[in-house]
Amino acid sequence: MLKLVQRAGQWLFLHVERFFNHTFGEENNPLYHLGSITYFLFWIVLATGLYLYVFFKTGVDEAYASVEHLTTAQWYLGGVMRSLHRYASDGIVLGMLLHLGRHFVFDHYRSFRWFSWISGVVVLWLVYISGINGYMLPWDRLAQFVTVGTAEWLDWLPLFNGTLIRNFIFEGAVNDRLFSLLSFLHIGLALGMLALLWVHTQRVPGAKTTPPRPIMAWLGASLVVLSLLTPAMSQGPADLATVPATVALDWYYLPIFPLFYRWSPGQVWLLVGATTLIVVLLPWLPPRLRRYKEAFHLMIRPDNRIVAAREGETLLESALRDGIVFPFDCRNGGCGVCKCTILHGSVDHGVHQTEVLTAEEKAAGKALACCATPSSDLELEYVPVRPLSGIVVARHRARVASMARLADDVMRVRLELPADDALRYRAGQYINILLADGEKRSFSFATAPHETGGIELQIRHIPGGRFTTHVFTEMKVGESVEFEGPLGSFFLREDSDKPMIFVAGATGFAPVKSMLEHAFHVGFKRRMVLYWGVRSKADLYLAELPAKWAAEHPNFTFVPVLSEPKPEDHWTGRTGLVHEAILQDYPDLSAHQIYACGSVGMVEAAHPAFAAHGLSQDDCFSDAFKLAPHVARRTKDADLVLLGGRAANG
Amino acid sequence: MARVLRYLSQAVLYAAFVAAIGYLSTSPTYVHLPPDEALIKLSFSHAAARKEACHERTPEELAKLAPNMRAQTVCPRERVPVTVEVVLDGEPLFRVVAPPSGMAKDGASTVYRRVAVPSGTHRIAARLSDMPDGTFDHRAETTVALPPGHVLVIDFDAGKGGFLFRS
Repeated sequence: MLKLVQRAGQWLFLHVERFFNHTFGEENNPLYHLGSITYFLFWIVLATGLYLYVFFKTGVDEAYASVEHLTTAQWYLGGVMRSLHRYASDGIVLGMLLHLGRHFVFDHYRSFRWFSWISGVVVLWLVYISGINGYMLPWDRLAQFVTVGTAEWLDWLPLFNGTLIRNFIFEGAVNDRLFSLLSFLHIGLALGMLALLWVHTQRVPGAKTTPPRPIMAWLGASLVVLSLLTPAMSQGPADLATVPATVALDWYYLPIFPLFYRWSPGQVWLLVGATTLIVVLLPWLPPRLRRYKEAFHLMIRPDNRIVAAREGETLLESALRDGIVFPFDCRNGGCGVCKCTILHGSVDHGVHQTEVLTAEEKAAGKALACCATPSSDLELEYVPVRPLSGIVVARHRARVASMARLADDVMRVRLELPADDALRYRAGQYINILLADGEKRSFSFATAPHETGGIELQIRHIPGGRFTTHVFTEMKVGESVEFEGPLGSFFLREDSDKPMIFVAGATGFAPVKSMLEHAFHVGFKRRMVLYWGVRSKADLYLAELPAKWAAEHPNFTFVPVLSEPKPEDHWTGRTGLVHEAILQDYPDLSAHQIYACGSVGMVEAAHPAFAAHGLSQDDCFSDAFKLAPHVARRTKDADLVLLGGRAANG
Repeated sequence: MARVLRYLSQAVLYAAFVAAIGYLSTSPTYVHLPPDEALIKLSFSHAAARKEACHERTPEELAKLAPNMRAQTVCPRERVPVTVEVVLDGEPLFRVVAPPSGMAKDGASTVYRRVAVPSGTHRIAARLSDMPDGTFDHRAETTVALPPGHVLVIDFDAGKGGFLFRS
C-alpha cells in the first residue's frame, strides 16, 4: 500500500516537474527548490514581522486598533507588510508540505535521513503553533475564534481541564498582559524555528538555503501583487459577548478548528496525535529486523578518494558528505548537472526524468549522482567544476634536495619545488611519483602543510621493486622527479572534539607525522595518542621524534608496539599486534576518532575489531578500509595502495 | 517570441500559486454558528466542601503515630465533587459531576460546557451541589432573551451569591 502511494506520488511529481522544466528551465524549477523556497519565505515573514512589531500595541483595545491603523492608514507599506506576512506564512506551509511530500513519495526519509525527517516534523509543528499564535494577535473576530477554540481544545487535556477558557469567557477576562505574552511567544517560536531549521539543514551535505534569484524575484513579486490586490484585513473587533458566527478562515493554518465543533476536542487530539506519531515513525515503518549499515565504497575520480556510502545514500550525498566538490544543481534528477560515469560496478539509477538520462547513456555507464545509489563497490568519475578549498591536483616537477637513511630499508628523500610552484596539500595526503613509462608510485607527505623548504618522503625499500631499488641504489641529490598531487582523503579532520588515536604500521608513520606536526602547529587541544606498530626495534626509525613530541605536548602520548621483538632489542614495552594493544587500552572506542595508516593487511585486520568496540564509521579514517578487490587490483594510483611507501611492486 | 511565451507561462504559474495561497487564506468562509442560534456556556471553578469534617484523634490513634506527627485534630483535605444541573425551558441541558482537582483531590472543581441553542427568550434554571450529602444548596432561575449569535455565560461564584447569568 505504501509503495503504491509512493509510486503514484512519484508519477505525479515527475510529470509536473517535467512540465515545469519546460516552463521554468531545470535550474529554476520551483519544485526542485522547495526547501530553499521555504527558507526564503521564512525570511520574508521575519522581515515583515519585525516591521509589524514596531507598530503593534499590546493591549486589549490597542491591539486591534494598531493593526487596523497600520492596515488602512499605511496601506501602501504597513498593509502590504501585513499581507506579505500572512501570505508568506501560508506559502511556508505549502512549501513545507510539498517538500515533505516529495521526500515521502521518493522514499527519502529512511536510514540516515531519519534525523532530517524528524527535525522537519518538529519544524512543521513549530510553524503551526507560531502561525496559530500569530492569528491571535490582531484581536479581531478571527483572533477571538482562534483564541477561544485553542483554549477549548487545550482545556480537554487533564492538565488544564476547563481552566484556560476562563481567561476568555467574559469581555473583562482578557487583559493587556495576554498580548505581551502572545507577542513574546510569537517571536520566541520564530527564533526557535530558525534554530531548528539550521539544525535540520546542517545535516544535509551541500543543502541550499537560498533559491535561485529568478525564483526569489518571481515569488517575491507575486506575493506583493497578491498583497496589493487582496490585502489581509481584520474581521471586526473581538467581542466575547457574541460568537464570531462566520469567519474567513485561513485553511493553511486553521483546518482543524472546525473539527473541534464538528467532532470533539478529544477526537481532534486523537487525530493530531496519531498523525504526528505515524509521521514520526515513518522512517522505521515497516520495521526491519537488521540494522542499517554502511553499504558500499565508492572510488571517486578525479579526486582519487574512497568514500563509504551509507545504505540508501545517493552517490552525490556520499561525495558531498566527504567534502568532495561534486557538481550538482536540482538534486532531483531533473537537470543532469551531476551526471557522472560509472567506471566499475553497478548502480540503481533511481527515479529521474528520462530525457535527462537516456537508456543509451545508462548503457554507456552514465548515471545521475543525485538519484543513483550503489549496488556494489563503485569506481566513478565526474567532471570537476572547481578545486576543493583551493587545493588543486596537478603535475609538479621537483629536484631531490637531500637523502638520508633512517633505517636499513627506509630512506628519507626531501624534494624541493621551484620557487614559483606553491604546492598546497592537507596533512596526510600523498603524491604519485610518475615514472618514465607512465607507471606511478604513491608516497605520503611526511611534512606538515605549513612547512617550507620542500616536502619529505619516507621511502621503504621493497626488494625487487623498480622504483624503491632505484632510490636506494641510484638516486642522487639533484635528480629531477615528476609527480602529481596532492591526492587522497586520508587527511586530518579538524571539525571534531573527539580524542584521536593514530595507528601507524611501519612507514605508515609518514602521513601520521604530517598530521601530528600540523596538529601541534595549529594548537590542537584534543587528546592524541600514537600507536606505532613495527616488527622490531630497528623498524622504529624515528622513535626519538614522537618521544620528543610526548615530552613537549601534554595532550600527546606515544606507544610503540613491537610484534616480533628481537632478543638484542631488550624490549620492555608493548608487544603484539598494534590494534590489539589499542583495544586493550580503549575497550570502548565510541567517543574516539582513529586514523590508521599502514599495510592493507594491518588496516583490514584492525577495522572490524575497532568497529566491534564501538568505533563509528564516520570516525574511522583510512583509505584502505574495506576496499573493493577490483580497486585494489587495478588502480595503482588509488589511496589504498602504497601509503607510506608500501608499494606492492616497489 | 518563445522567450516571451515562456515568461508568460511562468507568470501564469506563479499567479496560480499565489492565487491558491490567497484563496485558501480566507476562503471558503466557515460558519461557526448558524444565524438563528445563540450559545450557552457553563463555566465556573468552585471548591466544594470537604468530604469529611475535622475530628479529634483518640489516644489509641495518637499512640500509633510518630511523636512528631501527633496532632490532636485531623482535617482530611479531600473535597466532594461539585454537581451542577442546568434546565432550559423545562428540558435538561447539562448535568455535570466535576471532581475536585489536585493530587489530594483538595482543589476546586472546574466545569466548562458549551451548547448552541435557538435564539430567542429562554427560561433557565440551575442548581448546584457542593455538600457531602449531595443536597443542591445553590439554585437560581432566570429568563433571558438571547439574540442570534449572542453568548450567555452561566457562572458560579459563591462569594457573589451563587449563580451568575452573564450575557
